[in-house]
Amino acid sequence: MTTAKNIETASPPRQDLRARPRWTWLVRRREILVSAAIVVVVAASTAVHPYFWSSSNIAFIFADSVVIAFLALGESFVMLGRGIDLSVGAIMGLSAIVVGFQIQNHNMTLLPAVLLGALVGIVLGLGNAVLVGVVRLPPIIATLGTLSVYSGLEFVVTNGNQVDTIPSSITNLGSDTVLPGIPVILLLTLPFVLVSALVLRHTRFGRSIYAVGDDAEAAYRAGIGVQRVLFATYAISGLLSGLGGVAFLIYTSGASSTTGVGDNLTAIAAAIIGGTALTGGVGGAVGALVGSVFLTVTLTALSFVHVADVWQPAGVGVLVLLAVVYDSRSRRGSVAWRPRKRQRQRQSQRGTR
Amino acid sequence: MADHAEPAAAAEPAGVAGHGTQPAPRPQADSCTDYAAYGVTKRFGEITVLSDVSAHFFSGEIHSIVGENGAGKSTLLKVMAGVYPCDEGTLVLGGKVLPALTPREAQRAGIYLVPQEPRLMPDLSVAENLYLGALPRRRFGGVAWRVMNDTTDAVISAVGLHADPRLVAGRLSLAQQQLLECARALSRGCRIIFFDEPTSPLTAHDAEKLFGVMDQLRGRGLTLGFISHRLDEIEAISDRITVLRDGVVVAHAERGGLTRENLVTAMIGRQLTVTRKAGHPREPGAVKLEAEDVHSPPEVNGMSVRVRAGEIVGMAGLVGSGRTEFAETLFGIRPAVSGRVRVNGRDITGASPRKCIDSGLVYLAEDRGRSGIFADVDIARNATAAIVQRLPRLAGVFLRPRKEQELAQAGAQRMDVRASSVAAPMKTLSGGNQQKALLARWMLAMPQVAIFDEPTRGVDIGAKESIYEIIEALAANGLAALVISSELEELVRLCDRVYTVYEGRITGELAGDAITPEALGQLAVGA
Amino acid sequence: MTTLELPRRWRVPAWGLALLVAIVAELCYFTLTTRQFAGHGTGMLALSEQFAPTGVLAMGLAMVILTGNIDLSCGASASLAAVIAGTILEKGGSPVEAILLAVAVSTLFGLFNGVIVAYVGIDSLLVTLATQFIITSIATSVAGASPPFGFPGAFTLIGQGAVNDVPIALWVFLVIALAIIVTVGHTNVGRSMTLIGYNLRAAQYAGIPIRRTLTAVFTLCGAAAGVAGVLLAAYYNSAQPDIGTDLLLPAITAVILGGMDIFGGRGRIGEVVLAVFLLGYLSQGMLIEGDSSLSITMVTGLVLIGALVLKFAFERNLRQRLTARMQRLRTLSRGARS
Repeated sequence: MTTAKNIETASPPRQDLRARPRWTWLVRRREILVSAAIVVVVAASTAVHPYFWSSSNIAFIFADSVVIAFLALGESFVMLGRGIDLSVGAIMGLSAIVVGFQIQNHNMTLLPAVLLGALVGIVLGLGNAVLVGVVRLPPIIATLGTLSVYSGLEFVVTNGNQVDTIPSSITNLGSDTVLPGIPVILLLTLPFVLVSALVLRHTRFGRSIYAVGDDAEAAYRAGIGVQRVLFATYAISGLLSGLGGVAFLIYTSGASSTTGVGDNLTAIAAAIIGGTALTGGVGGAVGALVGSVFLTVTLTALSFVHVADVWQPAGVGVLVLLAVVYDSRSRRGSVAWRPRKRQRQRQSQRGTR
Repeated sequence: MADHAEPAAAAEPAGVAGHGTQPAPRPQADSCTDYAAYGVTKRFGEITVLSDVSAHFFSGEIHSIVGENGAGKSTLLKVMAGVYPCDEGTLVLGGKVLPALTPREAQRAGIYLVPQEPRLMPDLSVAENLYLGALPRRRFGGVAWRVMNDTTDAVISAVGLHADPRLVAGRLSLAQQQLLECARALSRGCRIIFFDEPTSPLTAHDAEKLFGVMDQLRGRGLTLGFISHRLDEIEAISDRITVLRDGVVVAHAERGGLTRENLVTAMIGRQLTVTRKAGHPREPGAVKLEAEDVHSPPEVNGMSVRVRAGEIVGMAGLVGSGRTEFAETLFGIRPAVSGRVRVNGRDITGASPRKCIDSGLVYLAEDRGRSGIFADVDIARNATAAIVQRLPRLAGVFLRPRKEQELAQAGAQRMDVRASSVAAPMKTLSGGNQQKALLARWMLAMPQVAIFDEPTRGVDIGAKESIYEIIEALAANGLAALVISSELEELVRLCDRVYTVYEGRITGELAGDAITPEALGQLAVGA
Repeated sequence: MTTLELPRRWRVPAWGLALLVAIVAELCYFTLTTRQFAGHGTGMLALSEQFAPTGVLAMGLAMVILTGNIDLSCGASASLAAVIAGTILEKGGSPVEAILLAVAVSTLFGLFNGVIVAYVGIDSLLVTLATQFIITSIATSVAGASPPFGFPGAFTLIGQGAVNDVPIALWVFLVIALAIIVTVGHTNVGRSMTLIGYNLRAAQYAGIPIRRTLTAVFTLCGAAAGVAGVLLAAYYNSAQPDIGTDLLLPAITAVILGGMDIFGGRGRIGEVVLAVFLLGYLSQGMLIEGDSSLSITMVTGLVLIGALVLKFAFERNLRQRLTARMQRLRTLSRGARS
């Protein structure tokens, strides 16, 4: 089969694209990079303060990162679908309050508490799910609204009271260690991370979240129920935030009407640092955990070198900026200017072919 | 997969035939994958893109649809693949009439359209893209990765794509992405595959690979449809050719039934009802636009162009030949890696669009929906968008809406925009009127040079004529006009000179009476 | 040739009207049910001191959202401005110095945001997410262990004083609102903002200076945040480092409730002003009734959601009817031509 005789000489045949050797793939993965960064920070801090590398400190760091890890995990689900959830902190707070009161006033034990937390989380998450998946409000606005409502509800539910008495049988989970440096609470968190990772990477539902985040219209044409997927991601985010509330109780043994107020954006920050992009389609569960741990490690390290607590938020901000600039250099061009933009309707006047 | 014998007496004339003449259907073959469209009519708003079109796609054949830009080729395949519903007509697959199709249903029926721009998920792997929406499942609900990857390996090798199934699809080249789309069709068991202009962005080498794949598929009895502008390709691989012109079937032939000249004549050769205006010769003035050896890889590879005041110069070429990218480089949207651009003697290489406009160069973009109009904004503000800082003001700072509207109205009237008022949103205008409103915008900027990129795309006949008159009047007043167009007749009508472009280089320059559709057609396909 | 008509009538904006009706209804309700609300008629005006800072912040945010971006850091910027002003006053500086420096600093941070968004090309949500954290830290640090309080009367007058019964804070808000309405509707920069919000790419092709405009927008938002911070410090007579952060949510809510499209382009600043009043009096009325601030937040959230659901439903219906009408017109015109 010949093509035209005097077409310009063909360009040399392309290199067949085989996979590069396994190890380079590993190095490029964000989770590995951030984990390596964690190791670097730990090493550097230990060099300055040997106490940094001690069982109790490491355990403390892990325990400290668990709450944000839950929130970031939930946020990841939503962000992978190219959405955003500004209400995770409020859901966490409400869950902590409701469960906390049950524990405090009605002697609820751990397992029912966890279930209750999950339930509260799902119900609240459904609010977001309906607004985004059914009513089709833009996620920023929908979760802004629910953030306000849920924050307000926190006060209404506490009715001026506080949760301040959690039996040590529960709070010890936050401080007891199974192995040197590994608090029990971390072990309780890991299954959720693993299940999330499994769902995201190995189920059709999980993969459809990535597809929807990458190109919702193409996903729709391929037969994926886009609205259903989005609905589910917000419900899951709520569920995980609810669990985060229980974790909060374990770790801080208290809750009040202002619990979770500042954590919404921190959760997003942790997810971004861990490799999940706001534009969707990239990132995952492990990244959320790793990002949260990295955040906590770095902030703890800062306090070890006597940087005042006041500068912790700034630390988060700087890390987010670094992650975002790094992403804009390494990903396809710069991070899209407006990832929140609606898909444009195709004009009927275009393309008369 | 039976072999079909050549039909004894082909019922079609060799050469131009009136539309509606259909060949006798093939005697046997895999008739359950024979796919036919009967009397399809499709309108977009007020423009009729397809009018009573019928076409048969038989199994074991490559059936090519040819025609100029705007003839309706792509729309026909899209209708047959369920992307658009047709306003009239029926689709018959294997003897059964198909109900209204969606792309998903079409796929289930075995019909797949490989779009001109392959639309893959850039962050998902090759295997996942292949199986999008239908990932194979393991017993407990998990995704069967190994099975998927292995099958992917097999499927994509069958189409000549060599890539790791785990690679993210965004890293594939365009040619590879097309092959992946092809593989996707096969993996879904589709026996009818349409290719919408796949070779336009490909190099000769990649195009050959694709043809190899198509040949294979044909041998396996699949039904293939193919669109291309490259007549050599068409002649080489088609078993059957249908020529569309302005939405109507004007010719139909089997392999060897049409000579090249007949083909080109059928594509473009109606009598030009309006020839170039007598009194056309304008004395071209000074050189207003000068581009020297402009490079902007990979699409623009050293183009040099010169336009004088009062001249209308055209740029002909296939889609993807780099003309739009060239214009965008001149206008500062794309970086110019090397070369010089001068407007009225002033060097504006690499200047931003703002500076270009202020220096006297304007650009009417090809894709007005994305790059031209502000759909929800009123006509007045659309019209003044390029000259906001030159608008009359109060105290030197404050814009005056009333004056602005008057200015916009004057401009719009000069351009013959038909609308109820300049306060109407742009999106309520027809395509032709939107284009004229955009012309008003650019002319309000009082340019010395204007680049018109596909000025009548998506515009109905009446408005087309109107736009031609406007361009000619502007040139008569001293504008240096560069017209990029894929419609050969348009170039013949308007231009004093035409450059032909192929793969980012100027391949020829025709002037005066040498500008004929045939000559342009030949040069544009790189012959 | 065609005869285009110049638009004669000024169409009444439907959403603005709805807001106005809601405000009137709300004011009536509160006046009738709560004794202290109207307070000899001037009570309502005095109440506006409370939400004037939110209003100013919303004005700055509205411009940013108009371009299709967002600024999550403006609340923190307001806090920083308040703290800086307070610190200067505590150290004996004059109110003028305090105000100028406070606004200058917040403007600088706005400029920083703008430069990163416009020139480095990173999404505004991400950038302002990060700067919000950073500015919060700076504010807390400057405030120190005991945040400044107890400012000279000349300063607190701005937040608590009144001229002809109209609070100075309200004057400030209205003046800024007017300035921004005029800027958006009648200046180059404002026109550029609007067009960028509608279609960034088309704006680029039309020669609109994208980077300069975006930088300007964020800078202006920073300046507005600074003014809001000053008003807050003056009203509360103290400068807690989180004084402004609480304003972010109500400010965004006001902008959205005011009909601005979160994706940019559509919306009128005037309607945002109405939304500020609507939400402001809502929260004030509820406060006087005795509701807590957090349940006010809850009601605000419900109002936002409810209003938007209505708006989306209304627009979908409108769009369907509009397309139907356009199709009918086209068939008619086609028939007339052939």
